[in-house]
Amino acid sequence: MSSTPRSLRRGRPELYSDYAADQAIWNTAAKRWSTGLVLLLALSLPFMLNRDLMGLMALVVVYAISGIGLNLVSGYAGQISLGHAVFMGLGAYTAALLGGSPSSTVRGLELDLLIWLPMAGIVPALIGWLFAPLAARVRGLYLAILTLGLLFVGEHVFKEATWLTGGSGVGRAPAAPSILGFDLYARRTVLGTELSAIGVFYLFALLLLVVMAVLARNVARTRQGRAFSAVRDRDIAAEVMGVPLLRTKRLAFTLSSFYAGIGGALMTIVIGFTTPEKWSLLLSIDFLAVVLIGGAATITGPIIGAAFVVLMPRFIETFAGSLPEWFVSTTVGGGGLLNVFQLQGLLFGVMIVIFLVAEPRGLFGVWIRIRNYFKAWPFSY
Amino acid sequence: MSQTLTAPRETSGAGDGVLTLATRVRRFAEQDPYRVCMREKRFGIWQDITWADYWDNVELVGHALYALGIRPGDRVGIHSENRPEWLYADVGIVAIRAITMGLYPTNPAPEVAYLLQDSGTRILIAEDQEQVDKALAVVDDCPALEWIVTLEPRGVRDYVHPKLMSFEDFLARGRAHRETDPDLLARMANDAEDDDVVTLIYTSGTTGPPKGAMLTNRNVSFGIDVLVFSGGLFDPPASQSDVTLSYLPLCHVAERAATVWTNAGAGVTVHFAESIETVQANLKEVQPTLFFAVPRIWEKIAAGIQIKMFSASRLKKLNYALWMKVASIIGERLVANDGKHTLLTRVLYALGYPFLFRALRDRIGMRKVRAAGSGAAPIAPEVLQFFFGIGVPIYEIYGMTENAAVATVNRRGRVKLGTVGEPQPGTELRIDETTGEILTRHPGVFAGYWNKPEQTAETLDAEGWLHTGDVGEWVDGTHVRIVDRIKDIIITAGGKNISPSEIENHLKTSPFVKEAMVIGDRRAYLSVLVGIELDTVADWAQRRRLPYTTYRDLTEKPEVLTLVQGIVAQTNERFARVEQMRKFRMIPKELDHEDGELTATQKVKRSSLNDMFGHLIEDMYANRTEHAGGDLVDVHTSRDFVPVADQEA
Repeated sequence: MSSTPRSLRRGRPELYSDYAADQAIWNTAAKRWSTGLVLLLALSLPFMLNRDLMGLMALVVVYAISGIGLNLVSGYAGQISLGHAVFMGLGAYTAALLGGSPSSTVRGLELDLLIWLPMAGIVPALIGWLFAPLAARVRGLYLAILTLGLLFVGEHVFKEATWLTGGSGVGRAPAAPSILGFDLYARRTVLGTELSAIGVFYLFALLLLVVMAVLARNVARTRQGRAFSAVRDRDIAAEVMGVPLLRTKRLAFTLSSFYAGIGGALMTIVIGFTTPEKWSLLLSIDFLAVVLIGGAATITGPIIGAAFVVLMPRFIETFAGSLPEWFVSTTVGGGGLLNVFQLQGLLFGVMIVIFLVAEPRGLFGVWIRIRNYFKAWPFSY
Repeated sequence: MSQTLTAPRETSGAGDGVLTLATRVRRFAEQDPYRVCMREKRFGIWQDITWADYWDNVELVGHALYALGIRPGDRVGIHSENRPEWLYADVGIVAIRAITMGLYPTNPAPEVAYLLQDSGTRILIAEDQEQVDKALAVVDDCPALEWIVTLEPRGVRDYVHPKLMSFEDFLARGRAHRETDPDLLARMANDAEDDDVVTLIYTSGTTGPPKGAMLTNRNVSFGIDVLVFSGGLFDPPASQSDVTLSYLPLCHVAERAATVWTNAGAGVTVHFAESIETVQANLKEVQPTLFFAVPRIWEKIAAGIQIKMFSASRLKKLNYALWMKVASIIGERLVANDGKHTLLTRVLYALGYPFLFRALRDRIGMRKVRAAGSGAAPIAPEVLQFFFGIGVPIYEIYGMTENAAVATVNRRGRVKLGTVGEPQPGTELRIDETTGEILTRHPGVFAGYWNKPEQTAETLDAEGWLHTGDVGEWVDGTHVRIVDRIKDIIITAGGKNISPSEIENHLKTSPFVKEAMVIGDRRAYLSVLVGIELDTVADWAQRRRLPYTTYRDLTEKPEVLTLVQGIVAQTNERFARVEQMRKFRMIPKELDHEDGELTATQKVKRSSLNDMFGHLIEDMYANRTEHAGGDLVDVHTSRDFVPVADQEA
C-alpha cells in the first residue's frame, strides 16, 4: 500500500511504477487523446454523412474487421493466405442460413443475431482449425498456392450449394440484423437526429470493430502473440525455442477465420444481395491490400488500409471527371486511353508495389516514421 | 559575511535527544507512512518504497546490528552501489549510534583492506559477489571484521565462510531482536548526542592514503539546515514534491547530502539509477526536479548533445544551430546579469521553448529540473553558460568533506561565473592573508580525522578554523574564486604562479578531451598530457572514415593529433603568454581507478601520472619526438611502436 502524490507523477510519462501502466495499450496521454478523438469522430459520422457515404463507411468498418483477421495470420504469424475470401463467405452463409428468411430456393432459420453472429465466426473458425494442419506443413509460396486451392474449392462448393447460397449468378439475401427484436438496420432517431438504417448498422459494426480490435491487440501482446511473431521471423528458430509450430499456426488460422467470418456476415448486410462469385480471388487480394497498404503486424494498420481500399475507388471515380477525356473516360465504352475502372485497378496495383518496396509497414509505418521524427526531436535518434 | 539561517535549529520533540537522521526518518514515517519516499528500478519498473517501509527496514538493520554486538561508536562499513539498502543501513547504523563507513564500489581489494583496517570496521555490508570477493580476499588482514553481510545472494549462495551472512538472515536476526527489545531504538534516540560521530567519510586521497573524516550529529544537522532548508544546495529549498536521482557514490559527502540528507530532511522522493551507465536513460524517465552532478557528468551531457547533433538530419541541425545561437545570447545575458532573467531573455526563451529547449531538456532528462548543482571539482564557465542558455540553471557549490560540504554557493540571482559563490548562511569564511588559503568555521566543521591527530591538527586549528587546502580570492568582495589546490599550483622556472586546473578545465570543455594534466612546475614552459574521450573521438573518426583498432591506435592517429593540437591552440588564446602550453603528448591508455591513476571520484592523481608517464614528459622537455604528440606547429606520431616494458629496459 502506497500513495504517490500528483506532483510526483505529472509530466513523467516514462516513469512506470507498476506493470499495468507499463504494458497499457494507451500508455501515453497523446495516445489516449488521439484515440478518443478518432472514436468521437467515427461516432459522429452518421449524424453528418448521407446514406450513400454511410454505406461506404460501414463497408470500411467491416473490411477493417476482416482485415484485422487476415493480419493476425499473415501479418503477425507470417502465414500468407489467399483463402481469406472463403472464410468470409463461410461466415456470410452461416449467418444467412441461421438468421435469413427462407425462400423458394434457399433455406433460412430466422434466428436472432445473438445466435447467428457468434456462429458466423465459430463455423469458419472450425473449418480453419481443420484446414490448419495442412497449411502448417508448407510455407511461403507453397502456402500461397495451397490457400489458392482452398479458394477454388470453396468457390465451387458455394456455386453448387444452391440451397445455401442461391447458386451462381442468383445469390441470396443476407441475415436479418435484429437483437431480441430490436432491428439494427432501420431508421432511428438518436439525439434528435434521424439516422439512416445503414447509419444505425454502422454504429453497431463500429462497436464490434472496437471490441474485436482491442481483443486482437491483446492477443498480439500475449505469449501466443509473441509465438506468432517468432514463427513469422524464423519458424525453425521458433521451434528450437520451444514454440509449438502446429499449435501456433493452427491458432493463427482459427482466429483469423473467426474474424473473417464475422466480417463476411456483416459485409453481406452492408452490400445486400450477394452471389457466390463475390468470394473470389479478387476479394482475397483486396484484403491483402488492406493489410499491406495499412501496415502488416499492426492493428491500426488494417483500419487505415480498409479506409484506403474502400474509399479510393470512390475518390478516383469522383475526380476522374476532372481528368482529360482522352486519358480517362468515365464509362466503359467511353473511348479514352483508360476507363475509370482500369485506372482504379492500375492505381491499386501500383500502390501495392510501392508499399512493398518502399514502406513494408504500410500507411501505419509512414505514421510511425513521422511520429519518430518528432519524438526524437531535436536529435535524429 | 555570514548570514543568519533561514530555518531555526529544530529539536526532535519532547523526551528525545538530539535530532539525528534516524529521528528525521521516523518522523516522516509517523506523519506520512504510506507516502512514497524512494523508488528503485527492479524488473523493469520503478518499485515504490514508502516511509513506513523505510523506517521498518531501518529498525530491522538497527536491531540486527545490535544483536550482532554493535554498540555506540562501533564502525559498520557499506560497500555498495546506490540502492535503498544503502540508506536503510546508513540510517539504521545512526539509529543505534554506531558509525557508517562508506566504500566506493570501485575500490580495489587493497584499498578495501586499508579502509577496513584504518577504521576498524566490525561489520561490512557488501553488495554483491564482486564486493564480497574483495572482502574475502582481505578478511584475514582485518582482524576487527566479524561479519560480511551480502545484499545480493546471486553468485554468493555457494560460498562457505564463517563470517558470511545473507541480508535476509541479517534482517531476520533484527526481527527477532526487535521482539525481545522493542524499545531499543527509542532509548538510543534519547541518548543520542550532538557530538556522536555518525559517519566516517574517507577523503579521496589525491596525495596520500585516504583519511577518514569524522562527521557528528551536529555537523550533519548543520549540513541539513544549510544545504537543505536554507537552499544551500538547491534553491528554492527542497520539499516533498521534489524528485531526485541518486547515482553518484553515496560514500562521498556531496551525494550523501544530495540523497540521504535531502531525503531525510525535506522528504524528497529519491530514485536510484540502475547503474552509472544508465544515468542518461534513467534521467529521462525520472525527470528529476533537483539534480546534482559533478563537472564530468555535466561535460558528458553537453558532449552527448553535440555528438547526437552531428548525426541529426539537416533540418534538425539547422533548427538546433538557430536556437542555440539564441541560447548563447540568453546564456550571456544571464551571466552578465548575475543569473537573473531580463525581459529579453524571457521572451527569447519562450520563443525557443517549443522549437528546441523543451524537447532538448526532455531528452536529457532536465525538463523539470528547477535547480541543479555542480560541485566536488571545478567546472568550466562555458559549460555552465551552455546550460544556463537552454534553461537549466546550474549553481556551482563549494565545500568539502571536512566542513560537511558547507562553504560557499552561487545563490539564485546572485551568480558570478568563475566563482564558487558567496559563503553559506551561518558560515564564517576568510582567506589567509599570507598563503591565500581559504579557511572556514561553522558548526559543520568536522571532529577530526579518524585516528590521525597530527593530520587533524594540520587541518583544524585551535580557533576552530578549517584549512581547506584551496587557494582562493575574493571577487567584488562578495564571491569567492578558487585558484587551485595549494599543492597543485605550478611555479614555473620563471617564478610565475599558475593554476593548472583552470587551463585543464578549459581543455575539457571540448567534447573530445577526457583528461588533461598541465605540467610546468619548475620548467621553462607549460606542456600538457591529453587523454581523448573514446566515445566522441571514435564517432568523429568514423564520420571521417578513419580506421583504427585500439584506444592507443586512435590516440596516435595524425588526424587525432591535429584535432588535439587545435584544441590546445584554442585554449591558449584564452590565456596569457606564460600560461600557454607549448607542447602536448597523448596519454596512451584510458585512466582507471584500479590502475591507481584516478581516485575513486575520478580525479587524476598527479603524482602517479607524473611517475607513470614520466617518459612522455621527458620526451617534451628533452626536445625529443619519440612519443605521439606535437607542439603548436607540428604533430608527430610515435617513432615506432615500442612496448612500454622495452622502453624501460
